[in-house]
Amino acid sequence: MSNYASPEEYGLADLLCCAASREVQDNEIVFAGTGLPMVAIMLAQKTHAPNLKLIFEAGTLDGRPPELPTSVGDARCESGASRSSGLYDAFSIAQRGYVDLGYLGGAEIDQFGNVNTTCIGNYLKPELRLTGSGGNPDINSFAKRTVFIMVHEKRRFVEQVSYITSPGWRVKKWPGGEWVHRRELYGAAFRGGPSAVISTAGVFRFDETDGHMYLDTCHPGKTPSEIKDLCQFDLDVSRITGETAPPTREELHFIHDVLDPDQIFIPKVKKA
Amino acid sequence: MSTSKRITMQQAAEIVRNGSSLTFSGFTIWRRPFALVYELIRQQRRGLHLIEVNGGPHSEFLVGAGCVDIWESCWIGHELYGKYGANLSRRVCNKEVLTEDYSHAEMMFRFAAAAQGAPYAVTQTSLGTDIHNPEYDILGRAGKRDGKRIAKHKYIFVEDPFFDAGPHVLIPAVKVDVAILCVQQVGEEGTVRVAGQLYSDPEAARAADITIVMAEEIVPEEYLRRAADQNTIPSFEVDYVLECPFGAHPTGMFGQYDVDGNFLKDFYGRTRTQEGFDAFAAEWIYGLDHIGYLEKLGWSRMLNLRANTALNYKPRN
Repeated sequence: MSNYASPEEYGLADLLCCAASREVQDNEIVFAGTGLPMVAIMLAQKTHAPNLKLIFEAGTLDGRPPELPTSVGDARCESGASRSSGLYDAFSIAQRGYVDLGYLGGAEIDQFGNVNTTCIGNYLKPELRLTGSGGNPDINSFAKRTVFIMVHEKRRFVEQVSYITSPGWRVKKWPGGEWVHRRELYGAAFRGGPSAVISTAGVFRFDETDGHMYLDTCHPGKTPSEIKDLCQFDLDVSRITGETAPPTREELHFIHDVLDPDQIFIPKVKKA
Repeated sequence: MSTSKRITMQQAAEIVRNGSSLTFSGFTIWRRPFALVYELIRQQRRGLHLIEVNGGPHSEFLVGAGCVDIWESCWIGHELYGKYGANLSRRVCNKEVLTEDYSHAEMMFRFAAAAQGAPYAVTQTSLGTDIHNPEYDILGRAGKRDGKRIAKHKYIFVEDPFFDAGPHVLIPAVKVDVAILCVQQVGEEGTVRVAGQLYSDPEAARAADITIVMAEEIVPEEYLRRAADQNTIPSFEVDYVLECPFGAHPTGMFGQYDVDGNFLKDFYGRTRTQEGFDAFAAEWIYGLDHIGYLEKLGWSRMLNLRANTALNYKPRN
């Protein structure tokens, strides 16, 4: 890619959106969640992946919304879609194995990519009840790859999450609760798992053999030791490949002039 | 048909009894039967067991008003307009409401099983998560699993006996007393035509013992039957119908009106405490009927939400 924007031309949300967009390959079937991922996917549609197929969890199949939806249930989702249907179809399609990539979020994540969106504190006596799972574990169980977009704070990158809402690479085999590799648990339906975490500090990937997270790229201005300090677990920084590529001017044009001009999910950088 | 299915808002709310299990049409902040939810709050219904594919602002209102004992679902919040369900969180932390967590696909498949008349569904979703942790069977811990309306087990773990495809879970069909739907059109005999995404409405209508349909308009059956391939739910699955324009407000309705984001933001911001909820309810629910509610919202606010009928939404610019 060329024509990278200079640091004063973009914000952190732009960087995350473009990094997320670059995880998609052309012709893939992508499950969209609400928020920044929706902009990222539509950005990929406008740039390097014009033939990607977009599924909205609420029931739109191969959607091409002309105006940014504010959630997956939005009336905007189904304009131009191949089919408008419901959740039974969307989840059946996912379980059937059609989905290549899903974008997800979370309040907490551990070193194996287990994510919590359910509660803070002991589940039986919670300090705070969060939204709950939504489709997070379903997409994470069924898609070949999932990408998590997270705010990077030490309280969020933890040794053990309060509640495993969404399955990472090493998970608990119930009813006993012993830790096993996810390959063992999903049997014939094993297709993959979390492939990247894009945080506000860097991009992380997973060693699929033993399931641990490692730092792939630092966002501009961040150092590996700074990022290591932002994790409660011992982050592997031995495999770092460099710096996260900044947005291009073309990408910024699509984000701010075409996809999200009203700054619903991606704020514009204030010019000095 | 000689027997009319038409009822009033008050009658519709009376069909839901104290202790009923209840589900709704829609998805998060879209097509929720708000006018009837407000009426249930006015009638001070108690002990409800909400069983939902996903929750939303309507669940938050019922929980905040003290109508709900059990919330069984996977998600609650206001999407862009409020990060989580603050009323549910408060009441769960105070041990005033029991929650039973399943995943989104599990909830959907549980409704699909009920709609097929099957006792359970089988799936591989969410294996390895705490959703399947036996310690976290909240209804079991509370001694509620009677094997009648609430299944004897939250899950059964099985190995695929047919193709050796590995571990699976069996999840019980939902048992729902009443489904309340909010849609664009229903016929006098109950035929429903939903426009836009169907969400989980067809399964909810078929699964419930009683289905009430609240529509923006009641239209002649004959009109819907001229194009039966466009209809969503057959007449005999619907027990009662009522007409209620703007009945989903503050949630949105495809082709009719958008989500009232300011209303939801205001609700989310003001109802973190019980006192806040009570004040909000005093302002927007008690002492009003649906017409009074719409008058209070006012013409300019409602016209500003109105969808363009060619686009099916309100364009931003």
